[in-house]
Amino acid sequence: MEQAVILAAGEGQRLRPLTVTKPKVMLHVAGKPILSYVIEALAENGIRNIVLVVGYRREQVLDYFGSGEQFGVEINYVTQERQLGTAHALAHVRSVITDKFLVLPGDNLIEAATIARFVSAEPHAVLIKRVDDPSRYGAVILDNGSVRNIIEKPREAVSNMVNTGIYAFTNDIFNFIEPELDIPDVLNNMILQGNTISAQKTNGTWLDVVHPWHLLSLNDIVLHRIDGNTGGTIENGVTIKGQVSVGEGTLIHANSYLVGPVVIGKNCDIGPNVCLMPSTSVGDNVIISPFSEIRNSIICNDVHIGAGCIIEDSIIDKGCVIKSHFIACSGEADVKIGDEYYGVNMGAIIGESCYLGNNTVAQPGAIVGNYSQVQSLKLITGRLNDRSLLV
Amino acid sequence: MCGIVGYIGNRQAQPILFDCLSKLEYRGYDSCGIAIGGNSIDLYKDAIRVKALSKIAPQIPGTIGIGHTRWATHGEPCRLNAHPHCDCDNNIAVVHNGVINNFQRLREQLTAEGHNFTSETDTEIIPHLIEKYYTGNLEQAVECALRDIDGSFAIIALRAGEPRLVVARKDNPLVLGVGDREYFIASDIPALLDYTDRFIYLEDDDIGVITTDGIQIKKEGVEVLIKEEKISWTINDARKSGYEHFMIKEIHEQPKVIRDTLGEWKSAEPLTGLESILARETEAMLILACGSSFHAAMVGKYLVQDLLGIPARVEIASEFSYYREPLAATVALVITQSGETADILKTIKILKEVGCKVMVITNVLGSSAARISDDKLYTRAGPEISVAATKSFTAQLMVLYWLMMSYSRVDAIRLSGMLLGLRQMPSKVQQVLDNEENLIKHARYLSGYDNVFFMGRGINYPIALEGALKLKEISYIHAEGYAAGELKHGPFALLSNNTPVIAIIAKDNTYESMLTNIKEVKARGAPIIALAEEKDETIGSIADFVISVPKVDAIFSPIVNVVALQLLAYYTAKERCCDIDFPRNLAKSVTVE
Repeated sequence: MEQAVILAAGEGQRLRPLTVTKPKVMLHVAGKPILSYVIEALAENGIRNIVLVVGYRREQVLDYFGSGEQFGVEINYVTQERQLGTAHALAHVRSVITDKFLVLPGDNLIEAATIARFVSAEPHAVLIKRVDDPSRYGAVILDNGSVRNIIEKPREAVSNMVNTGIYAFTNDIFNFIEPELDIPDVLNNMILQGNTISAQKTNGTWLDVVHPWHLLSLNDIVLHRIDGNTGGTIENGVTIKGQVSVGEGTLIHANSYLVGPVVIGKNCDIGPNVCLMPSTSVGDNVIISPFSEIRNSIICNDVHIGAGCIIEDSIIDKGCVIKSHFIACSGEADVKIGDEYYGVNMGAIIGESCYLGNNTVAQPGAIVGNYSQVQSLKLITGRLNDRSLLV
Repeated sequence: MCGIVGYIGNRQAQPILFDCLSKLEYRGYDSCGIAIGGNSIDLYKDAIRVKALSKIAPQIPGTIGIGHTRWATHGEPCRLNAHPHCDCDNNIAVVHNGVINNFQRLREQLTAEGHNFTSETDTEIIPHLIEKYYTGNLEQAVECALRDIDGSFAIIALRAGEPRLVVARKDNPLVLGVGDREYFIASDIPALLDYTDRFIYLEDDDIGVITTDGIQIKKEGVEVLIKEEKISWTINDARKSGYEHFMIKEIHEQPKVIRDTLGEWKSAEPLTGLESILARETEAMLILACGSSFHAAMVGKYLVQDLLGIPARVEIASEFSYYREPLAATVALVITQSGETADILKTIKILKEVGCKVMVITNVLGSSAARISDDKLYTRAGPEISVAATKSFTAQLMVLYWLMMSYSRVDAIRLSGMLLGLRQMPSKVQQVLDNEENLIKHARYLSGYDNVFFMGRGINYPIALEGALKLKEISYIHAEGYAAGELKHGPFALLSNNTPVIAIIAKDNTYESMLTNIKEVKARGAPIIALAEEKDETIGSIADFVISVPKVDAIFSPIVNVVALQLLAYYTAKERCCDIDFPRNLAKSVTVE
């Protein structure tokens, strides 16, 4: 297998406000977009010819990955203007496919081991994985190592093996694609017509992001695999425990206390006297002022965090300015996504380029829309729309 | 202004020459050609683009060759005037970038001596001079020929039956790329990045001889020590990576360019070497530039006055040499993207002659301007391929902010507020880009008009000029930038409901006056497109259309405003189906006066 198609056109509506300006594949986990883990997994398995199907906010993908050279791969882009389903996306790549190829979702976190064996699978094949709760996925019913049927979101537990959305095809597949369908429907039709789709099982990582707080658990899992290194400047009196990675040009000021796993990007200014606790990732060009404590959180690029802030189990999207003594403590919360409520333990999610004044407090589960402004001494509860003004 | 390339090694030269030439087309593209060496010289050239020529050219075998892509100065674009040019017997072929001032006299002299000329170019005298001096040593003949020449040049010469290339430069760029028993020559680095990351810079008056065994460089007959440098640019930087044009790709690179500039500023030691230039006793500053860089310089003028509290004078480099009055400043800042613009180089020489300290801000490492100035600051824009300057302009602005804020004489409260604001700029610019859809709508509207005015005040006056320049150079719509207060002194006569006016508004001490100007324009029936901070309801109520940009400290408003205007120009040109990366009659860096 030498060629791979990654589906990266989707929006991820349930992940708003984080996906208002970027596609789901560009959400950051441990300092990098989810898509970059998929591309790295392919490159490590020797697949360097990559076709990215982009659509929603495609510029964000183009700007980050370019022609792929920095990632050791060659990327060609195909645009899917309207996202009508995975088979529709696949139909777009017909002209650039040579022979056998892999298809992967760009928004699921995988590692090289996940697909190590599958890259040499004989098409047509689907990669499956055992999960505890198949109700969210496509359950795969097997028949002697081949797929008998794929049932989307099964009501009853028909099988614990689910479809990872990773496939091996030959260009023969294009004869079966009906654009209004998803790929599993296409496969079911092929099986009905007497074709064989083999199934291969993986024990490697395969993780999905459905709701914003899932990013925190993914962040935690990925961070536990990193190795520490210090590309920046560490002043005297800084304590570092566990695996901590510090990017080039970053300055960690005296008396800061860093407990890994922690990833800090390039050109940041941290401290003095800042505590970064386990499973925290910090982007590029971030300032964290004295006496702030951050734990199990994702802080994106260009964020300014004032003095004496406490941030737990939270996501701060890029470009936010947070003044002194902002508190986002973790706790039980009922968070509404669409029409449903979910009981989760989390801090707050702050959309991009928000301004939070001094001494603001976010209740657990608070979600602040992009470009919002919150005046000093305000309590943030529930959900604020984009461009809200809390005075 | 042209691009030249050369190759010597073990591979077939022709495909390499065409590939490298296609990457130099930003330097000019009205005609092109190649010459392949061997027992004889095989020449192929025409007045068409590189891609077209490479399709129709016959396969000429040979592992040594030279190539040229032209921006006409002497003689119209046609096949005879295209390079390479040869001597009378077609034994010597030369490609040349530059201008020879005394070519008329030399040509008459050579004609009298019996040489036959076939073109109208100044270049053609070079192969004939080499022919005249050739006694068995090509390098010596080139050296003698160049002694007769008064002008600027970067040349590559090739002779039938000789497995060597001879290169030389004076006031025009030339780099040598080093491979494994093969060498590449080009006017700039990006053209060669597909082949190597090891480079040798040629200095003025150097003459080099290149064979597959190595390079020998001499200056005034004395051998020079060769310094090889590794370049960290990647090919990625010079590819379109999924975008339709280089211009839009480069517009989108701006958040990263700004972030990189900020990063470098942070990690840099206090600006060593610049102290002397911006020392506290500096009483006035002179800033010189051309084109878009001149608009950056004008923003710089406001910054110098506002942040350093000293007077500043901004001049167009090509006009500067005509001023007879003594210089008012002891310090000059020169801004040039390419570092090769002929007018700029001439100006730097004049300034240095009168004892002025010169600091250059340029995007090209090791460029001529960087080498001849007292001090230099590099913008971190990476290679800019699109002829219309975008990211190099914002990178210049960032360096100016950095410089002036580093030496600012403003109080600590204002400075810390500005520092916080500056670090938010990558995200603010990203917000402008994320709002692209909205700009496309306005571009569609604008594309239906033939005349457009831009107006601004204060620090955004230069942005009105830059916005107009962007629009006219790529969409061919007649666009004029004005200081908002000047519109009533004449240009009002041109206003009608067919002349949209784009008003750039900042929330600073110019705001009230701008409102008045907008009302004046509206009263003449011209549609108003206002570029204003988001949530400005006053503007919303009086303008016909509003382009919103994110709220920033007014001193940084030129950055978000110019990015919005770049997008507006790009999409307007796209709407009008223009050749955006290669606008007619233009070239990227202009090495002629």
